[in-house]
Amino acid sequence: MSLKHEIAFTLNGEEVRVAVPVAMSALAMLREVLGLTGTKYGCGEGECGACTIVVDGRSMNACLMFAVDCDGREVTTIEGLAHDAKAAPLREAFVAHWAVQCGFCTPGMIMQASNLLARRPDLDREAIKRGIEGNLCRCTGYKKIVDAVAAAAGNDG
Amino acid sequence: MSAITRYAAPTTLEEALQVLADGTATVLAGGTDLMPQGQDGRRPLGPTLLNIRRVGGLRGVAVDGGFIRIGALTTISDLLEDATVAARLPALATAADHFASDQIRNAGTVGGNICNASPAGDSIVPLLAYGAEVELASARGRRRVALKDFFTGPGRTVRAADELMTAALVPPPPPDFAARFEKFGTRPALDISTVSVGFGAQVTPEGLRGVRVAFGAAAPVPLRGARTEAALEGARLDEAVIAAAAAAARDEISPIDDVRASAWYRREMVHNLLRKILNDVAEA
Amino acid sequence: MVAIAKETLIGKRIPKLDAPDKVAGRTRYIHDLDLPGQLYGRVLRTDRPHARIKRIDTSKAKALKGVHAVITAEDTPRIPLGIGRDNPPLKLDKVRCIRDEIAAVAAESVAVADAALKLIEVEYEDLPVLASPEEALKEGAPVVQESHPDNIARTFDYEHGDVAKGEAESDLVYEDTFHLHYVTHCCMGVSGMIADFDEAGNLTVYSNTQVPFLFKKDMADVTGLDPARIRVIQPPVGGGFGSKLDIYPFEPICIFLAKATGRPVKMTFTREEEFVGSPTRQPVVLTLRSGVTRDGRLTFREVRTLHDNGGYTSWGATTPFVIMQTISSLYRVPNCRYHTDVVYTNNPYAGSFRGYGNLQATFAVETHMDRMAEALGLDPLAFRLQNAHDPGDVTPQGMHFKSCGMKDCLQKAADASDFVAKHARHAAAREGAGRVKRGIGMASMLHVGGGAKIHKTDGCGTILKIDDFGHITIMTGASEIGQGSETVLAQLVCEELGLPLSAVTVINNDTEITPWDVGVHASRTTFIAGNSAIRAARKARDKILAAASRSFGNGIPAEEMDLRGGYVVRDADGEPIVEIGKLIRSLHFGEKNDLVMTTEYYEPPSVMQDRHFKGDVSAAYAWAAQVAEVAVDLDTGIVRVERVTSAHDVGRVINRLGIEGQVEGGVVMGVGYAITENLQVENGRVLNPNFRDYKLVTAPEIPEMDLIFLETFDGEGPQGAKGIGEAPAIATAPAIANAIYNATGVRITALPFSPERVYRALREAEGPA
Repeated sequence: MSLKHEIAFTLNGEEVRVAVPVAMSALAMLREVLGLTGTKYGCGEGECGACTIVVDGRSMNACLMFAVDCDGREVTTIEGLAHDAKAAPLREAFVAHWAVQCGFCTPGMIMQASNLLARRPDLDREAIKRGIEGNLCRCTGYKKIVDAVAAAAGNDG
Repeated sequence: MSAITRYAAPTTLEEALQVLADGTATVLAGGTDLMPQGQDGRRPLGPTLLNIRRVGGLRGVAVDGGFIRIGALTTISDLLEDATVAARLPALATAADHFASDQIRNAGTVGGNICNASPAGDSIVPLLAYGAEVELASARGRRRVALKDFFTGPGRTVRAADELMTAALVPPPPPDFAARFEKFGTRPALDISTVSVGFGAQVTPEGLRGVRVAFGAAAPVPLRGARTEAALEGARLDEAVIAAAAAAARDEISPIDDVRASAWYRREMVHNLLRKILNDVAEA
Repeated sequence: MVAIAKETLIGKRIPKLDAPDKVAGRTRYIHDLDLPGQLYGRVLRTDRPHARIKRIDTSKAKALKGVHAVITAEDTPRIPLGIGRDNPPLKLDKVRCIRDEIAAVAAESVAVADAALKLIEVEYEDLPVLASPEEALKEGAPVVQESHPDNIARTFDYEHGDVAKGEAESDLVYEDTFHLHYVTHCCMGVSGMIADFDEAGNLTVYSNTQVPFLFKKDMADVTGLDPARIRVIQPPVGGGFGSKLDIYPFEPICIFLAKATGRPVKMTFTREEEFVGSPTRQPVVLTLRSGVTRDGRLTFREVRTLHDNGGYTSWGATTPFVIMQTISSLYRVPNCRYHTDVVYTNNPYAGSFRGYGNLQATFAVETHMDRMAEALGLDPLAFRLQNAHDPGDVTPQGMHFKSCGMKDCLQKAADASDFVAKHARHAAAREGAGRVKRGIGMASMLHVGGGAKIHKTDGCGTILKIDDFGHITIMTGASEIGQGSETVLAQLVCEELGLPLSAVTVINNDTEITPWDVGVHASRTTFIAGNSAIRAARKARDKILAAASRSFGNGIPAEEMDLRGGYVVRDADGEPIVEIGKLIRSLHFGEKNDLVMTTEYYEPPSVMQDRHFKGDVSAAYAWAAQVAEVAVDLDTGIVRVERVTSAHDVGRVINRLGIEGQVEGGVVMGVGYAITENLQVENGRVLNPNFRDYKLVTAPEIPEMDLIFLETFDGEGPQGAKGIGEAPAIATAPAIANAIYNATGVRITALPFSPERVYRALREAEGPA
C-alpha cells in the first residue's frame, strides 16, 4: 500500500537494518516493527511525552518523528537506558522517591530527564520542571518526579 | 491520503532542489507539524516525500552578508543555545523559550515553523518584529521575500511548490533597538498561543523609530499592525501614547472565537500585552 | 544466634514494589500485549448527537482484503449494559450521543480496520439535539430514552429535620447557584481490551477493569455467556481514577468480534477516541440555600441539583449518593433537604471519577460557607470550626464518626499556612496598586474512608500462603491501578509475619486465582483489602506459632513468641527459636503434614443506606482541610496556585511515600479541575478531544505542597488507617475559589477558573469603563 524504505541506524548501541513504510512514525516502528514496547503511545501528537526517545543526543517525541529519519542516526529507547549504568542513579531515584505510580508516563519521563541531565547536569528544581513540561503525568502531581530528578542531579538539598 | 511513491533524503541543496523541481514534493524537516498533519489527512505527504534534514549548510546562525542568517534547519533548541541570538535577537530567544516542549524544540526547525504558516507560529512573531526576510531557493534561482508578505492564509504562503526555504535573514538590530515578545498562556510553554505580541523599534531621545508591532493568533496569518505602528512611530512612550497604541492594536486585529478563547478576550489580551510591553520598554 | 529486635514497617518510606520494572520500561500494559493470531478491532462511532439510523451498509467493508468480520447490532444479542441497562453495545435504531457505537470491524491490522470503517455507509435521520438538562426538561422536548418519556433518568430525595423550622430560626439566609463542568480522567494509557476464546468456548479477557468480579457478571449479562466461563486477567493499568468501574460498549464488542472470527481480538483507543468515547465527571448545576444565626450556627440547608446524564446511565448518575453526604454531614446541619434530577440529554455520559460527586458538592458547600462567613463578619476558619463535627458524632443521615480529625485538620492547615493573618492582609491589599493580587482560601471535606457499602457486601477476599522457604504469596481480590495497593498489602502482611518485603509476591490480576472483591473504588482498598490481608496473615501467624510451640518451643507457649526477621523468636528478648522456612518444611514433611495457607473474607461493619438514604455507609470517614494561596493577574485573568497546604485525617500513615504520592497527585488533579481542565461540549459534540486544548496541569504549573498527616488511629482501620485515595482532590477547587475571592473581591461560581472566565468576571465587577 505504501512505499517502504530501508534504513540502517544504531538502536541502543546495536546496528539495525529495517525496511519501514515511509509515512510510519518512529514510535510505530519501535513498537510494532522492532517489538520495543517500553516507548508508549499516549497521544500521537507530541503533547504528552510518553514516547520520548533520544536521537543523536537529543530527546524527541517518537510519535512526531518519521521512522525513515532514523537512518544513520543513534537512537536510544528506555530499553537501552535500562541497561545503561550511567542512568542507574536516575532509575534508582525514581524508585526511591515513589516517582512512579501507574508508570505509563515513566519511560518517557526517564528518557527526558536523563537527556536533560546529560545536557545540563546542574539543573535546579525550576529548570527540571521546565525540562519535563512536555511530559504529562496524571498520577503523581509531578512533585516526586522532580524530587527524583533533583536527587539524581545531586540537587535535592 | 495520497500515496507516497518516492522518498528522497539528499545531502546537497542542489539535489534537493532537483527533487522539488516538478512541484510535487512534500518537504519534511523536523516533522513535528508534518507527522500529525499527514496522519490525520490534513496534509497529503505524497507523491514525493523530500526529507531535507541531511542537506548541508542549512542549519545554524551566522552573521553573513549584512544579515543575521538563520538557516532553515536551525532547531528551536539551537536558537535557545545560540550566542548571537541571545545577544542580538533576545525577543527571538524569548519566543524559543516559550515554544512547545524540550522534545519539540529539539526536533522542530525555524524553517518548518515559518513554512507551516500557523497564525500562532511562535518564532514568526518576533521575526516580524525584527523585520526578517525569507530566503527561497529553487532550480530556477533564489529570491527573498519580506516575512510580513510571506503568508497568504492559514497554512499557506507565497512559497512556490518548487521552492525551498533556505534561511530567515534578519537585519542586525542597531544598538538602540528594543525588542520584546509576549505570549499569552497559562503555561510557560507547551501551549498553542492564544495570542502573542512582538515589538521592535529604535528607542531614540526623539522617540521611537522604525516601529514594528506583530501579532500571533490574532488574524488568519501572523501579521504586522500598521495602525498600531503608526500610533507609535516618532512618539515618546508616555501614558497616553501607550494607551492609544494598545487601543489601536485591539481594534485592528481580526481574531476568531475558538476553543482556546473568544475574539473579545483575544482583543483584550493583545491590548494588555502590548501595554505591558510598552510600559516595560518605557521603563528600560 | 543474636537476638532479633522488633522492627516495624508501618509509617516508613517504602518504595513501590512494581517501580523497578516500570522505570526499566519492562512493564507490559494491555497495549504491549499481543496474542498469536490476534486481529485488531475498531469501532465505528456516530458523528451525530441524536439521530435515527435508517440504514447501515457494511458490504463494502466486508469485502475489503484483510477484514475478518464486520458486525452491527443485528449480529449481537442487543442486551443493554451500564448500571441503567440502557446502553446497547451496538446501536440498532437510534444514536443518542456522538460516542455511540454503530458497527465494528476485526481485521489483520489497525490500518485495515480503520480503512474498513470508512467503507461502512450509515444513513441517518437527524433528530433535535438536547444539549442541556434545561432543554431536556422543557414541555414537549424530544425523548432521549423511550423508557423515560420525561427525560428524567433518576431522582433522589433526602431530608432530615424540618427545613421550614430551620428557616424560621435563621437570622440570615443565603442562596447561591453553582455550575460545574465536564472533565475527564485522561488516563495516560488509553482504554483497551483483548478477548480470546479457547476451543471449548471459555473466554479469557485481558482488561483494564477496576472491578474484575463485577465485570464478569456484567459481561455475561450482556453477551449471554456463562460467567463461570469468563476469566478476567488484568495487566498493569495506565491509570484508573474511577474510569474503569463500569463496562463500556467496546468491551462486549471486542468479545463479539472474537466470537465472530474465532481469533483473539485486541482493541485499543486512539487518544481522540479516549476523549470522545470514555466517561466524564458529571456536570451539575447546584442551587444551595442555607440559613445561619447571627452568631454563626447553621440552621438549615436546602439543595437542588440538576445533573446532565448524557445519553446513557453509568455511575455518574449515582453521584448524588455522595453529594448528599457532603450536603448533610460535612458540617452539623440540623435541618436539611435535597433533591436531584438526573436528566437525559444528547451529551457524553458520565462515569465515576475520583471523588465521585464530592468535588461538585464540596465546591458548592465550601464556597457558600466562605460567603456566609464574610456576611456574618466571621473569620472563615472560626465559622467552620464552630459548625464542625467532633469524634463520636452521628449525623442525621446516620454516619457515625468514630474517629474524626476535622477540627484538627482545619486548625493545622490554618496554622501551617498562617491563614488568618494572610487572609486579612490580602483582603486589605485588594484596593492597592499592583496588577497581581494575592489571596488565600480554605476548604474542608468529608469522604468515605472505610469503604462504602453500595452493594450487599463491601468485602474483599485474601488467600495467603507461605512456602517452604518462607516466601509469602498474597492472593488478593484488590486490583492495583497504580496507587500502590500491592506495596501496602505486602507491608501489612510482613508486619504480621516478620518476613522482609523481598519475601512477598502479590497476585492481584486473575479472577481464576484471586478471591472475590467488589473492586477498586470509594478509597476502599487499603482499608478493606488491608484488613482482609492482615486477618489472613494473623491466621497464618497463629498456625506458625502454634507449630513452633509444639515442635521447637521447649515449652514456650505460642503467645510468648513473635515473628521477626524471618524467625520465630521469644517475644520477651528476641531470642531466635526457629527459622520460619524451616518450621514450614517441618509441617510439610512432618508427621501431621500440613500447609500454611489461610483465607479471609473481610466484611466491614458498615450498612447499606435505607430507602431514605440513611445509614452508616462506611466503616470510617476521612477528613481533610486545604488552604490554597493564589496569585491573580488582573491583566490576563490567569490564576496561579502558588501553594496548597493539605491536612488529612488519614487514621494512620502506612507508607509515607505512598500517601504523599496520593495527596500530591490528588491536589494537582484538583488544581486541574479548578483551573485548566475543561471538556468543551457544544451541541453534543466534544470540541477539544486532545491534550493540546484539554489542558492537564504540567510540571511547571504545580504549586508548592505542604502536607500534614493527622493520625487519629481509627479503631476499625488496618493498623488504624483510613482510605485516602479520593480525599486530596476534593477540597482544592473551593479553596482556590475562596482564595480568588480573597485576592480580588470577585466571587466566581462556575468552574473552571479559566483566564477568560476570571478576566471577564473581574471586568464585569469593575462595571462599565
